Amino acid sequence: MSSTGPANPPAASASPGRRPGDALAALSRQAGLAPFTARTRRELRFCLVEAPFGFCILAAPLMLVAVLILVRLLVYGTRSSAGAVHPVAALPIFAGLLVILLLVAMVPRAGRRLGAVHRGLAARWLGVPVGEPAPPRPARGVFGRLAANLRDGPGWRAAAYLLVKLPVTVAEIYALAFAAFGLAGLTYPFWWPLFRNHPPATQLGPVSVLTPFGAFHITTFTGTFAAFAAGAAMVLVAPWVARGAAAADAWLMQGMLGPGRLAQRVADLEQSRALAVEDSAALLRRLERDLHDGAQIRLATLAMNLGMAREKLGSDADPELRELVDVAHQGAKDALVELRNLARGIHPPALDNGLADALATLAASSATPVELTTSVPERPAPAIETIAYFCAAELLANAAKHSRANKIEMALSGRGGNLELRVTDDGAGGADPAGGSGLSGLAQRVRTVDGRIEIASPTGGPTQITVTLPMHA
Amino acid sequence: MRVVIAEDAALFREGLARLIADRGHQVVAAVGDADALLEAVAEHRPDVAVADIRMPPTHTDEGLRAAIELRREYPGTGVLVLSQYIETRYAARLLEGNAAGVGYLLKDRVADVAEFAEALTRVASGGTALDPEVVSQLVRASRRAEGIAALTPRERDVLSLMAEGRSNAGIAAALVVSAGVVEKHVASIFGKLGLATSEADNRRVLAVLRYLGP
Repeated sequence: MSSTGPANPPAASASPGRRPGDALAALSRQAGLAPFTARTRRELRFCLVEAPFGFCILAAPLMLVAVLILVRLLVYGTRSSAGAVHPVAALPIFAGLLVILLLVAMVPRAGRRLGAVHRGLAARWLGVPVGEPAPPRPARGVFGRLAANLRDGPGWRAAAYLLVKLPVTVAEIYALAFAAFGLAGLTYPFWWPLFRNHPPATQLGPVSVLTPFGAFHITTFTGTFAAFAAGAAMVLVAPWVARGAAAADAWLMQGMLGPGRLAQRVADLEQSRALAVEDSAALLRRLERDLHDGAQIRLATLAMNLGMAREKLGSDADPELRELVDVAHQGAKDALVELRNLARGIHPPALDNGLADALATLAASSATPVELTTSVPERPAPAIETIAYFCAAELLANAAKHSRANKIEMALSGRGGNLELRVTDDGAGGADPAGGSGLSGLAQRVRTVDGRIEIASPTGGPTQITVTLPMHA
Repeated sequence: MRVVIAEDAALFREGLARLIADRGHQVVAAVGDADALLEAVAEHRPDVAVADIRMPPTHTDEGLRAAIELRREYPGTGVLVLSQYIETRYAARLLEGNAAGVGYLLKDRVADVAEFAEALTRVASGGTALDPEVVSQLVRASRRAEGIAALTPRERDVLSLMAEGRSNAGIAAALVVSAGVVEKHVASIFGKLGLATSEADNRRVLAVLRYLGP
């Protein structure tokens, strides 16, 4: 195979500032080397494995025919001579339809399985990672699973991939044909002398040389050079056909076997939103800590020093001076109270020991007696804890302020991977999210993490408000 | 009186040490975290230890846990816990059935120097010093609303001051009345709430807190 040119170091093609002539030389070197790269071998292997799947489309008409035959058999086979469907005979019809339905429902599931295989091939041999689509929705019961299967978008998309990939399959077969026929063509000059060394007068039939565009025939040794040339050309072309076919297949896979552009976008947005929520929770926590260790400490020390100064002034000091120090002292103390309330609103320090502790503190300081029950097996994310805490605080304040309740029950539980906060009071009811009672703000806050808030508050009570939050943002 | 101070903010720690020394007491150690506090108390056996709740490494409740351990290990040493926040749960954990020689105050209270010094002395000598904030939260959240409603406003003031851990003399001074008047109020409160009278102030605190508590 000397026609493929010398093997130059590939680094030459990467040198900067090259002239057009150099570029052309590099391109031709690349073209010449393509058949021998590992990448080409992988792509050809990919084509070899992928091509047969293109014939899955043949299964579609077969299945259609099978279904039609089944329906026909059932309908005509059960008809009485009068032409009407006999009631008892209708049973097999339904049974048959059910079988058809089951078969159809299996298609998306099978599509998913095959899709996973194809994604694996693309990742392994092409280095093209195709993301996994969203998992099928969990369903219970035979009919639930049937319905879930029939509505499984990614599953149907994967099945459709197998039907749509026929043109790509053709290209893949061409790539394989170029490679196989090319290699075969290259061998002609070598075996010709061994098998065609008959006496001169012998009449011999022509030998065909295969190409993807048909065969041509040679009868003489000189002709084998044409076969060799055609083979060399095909070997040179095969990598590019394989590359194109593989790229087209990978593109198709990304579109049809991946998570889908919308689903991917949703996943990305969910992830970035979770990050934003967590980030802001962490930021608020840090802010509270900075206040605690910084301004609050300085202010407390200032108030303490002013208190000491006030003591040292004694009763015989200048009254004006005394008053000034008194005012400064009181001012520092007031500022401390304000700063503490501010910091508590930014991040309740009680949350540091977990939600159960923090809610107990809330319950203890509620004007209306609160019966608290908590059963949360694992700690939720800090951002979720903060939201749950502020919800509880708001709901308790609401119950105390608006409902004139005598008793409040607050229950925090971890249920089915969710955190559920339920506040029930025996008050007047009639809580309205539109009434500006803070419930709408709560709903907004809960929605930032895909939480839910359910309000049951008939006039006359009782009011039950349930906040459901995910364990993680 | 010998005092150990545990507070991670150096500024406040030094101010506190100065204040205490200024009142004629001896600060035998001033440390910055809970472990050092336990060591200092073991070494110096002070009359009272002053501890911040939020200290390194986790800045949550190290000081509180150390205080509870001190109360268990050294019943003779008073423990006064300081914090920038009042959590009634912390107060409950700190007292846990025994109000002798324990205090829980907001850091703000240090600004009223004389009162703080008085509270510190009280804790050192086996008394109780609960922050008015704790008491008012307990009163607000108490399920004995009817019992409390039966008290006169003056009696309610006396009840709060009792819950803070003050003696009759202390209550009299705070309300600017005579000790006899306070005694009469106290007797009336105990009668109305159906509590057994108790001689020791810290027992009285517990009785009142139990009455108020959940």
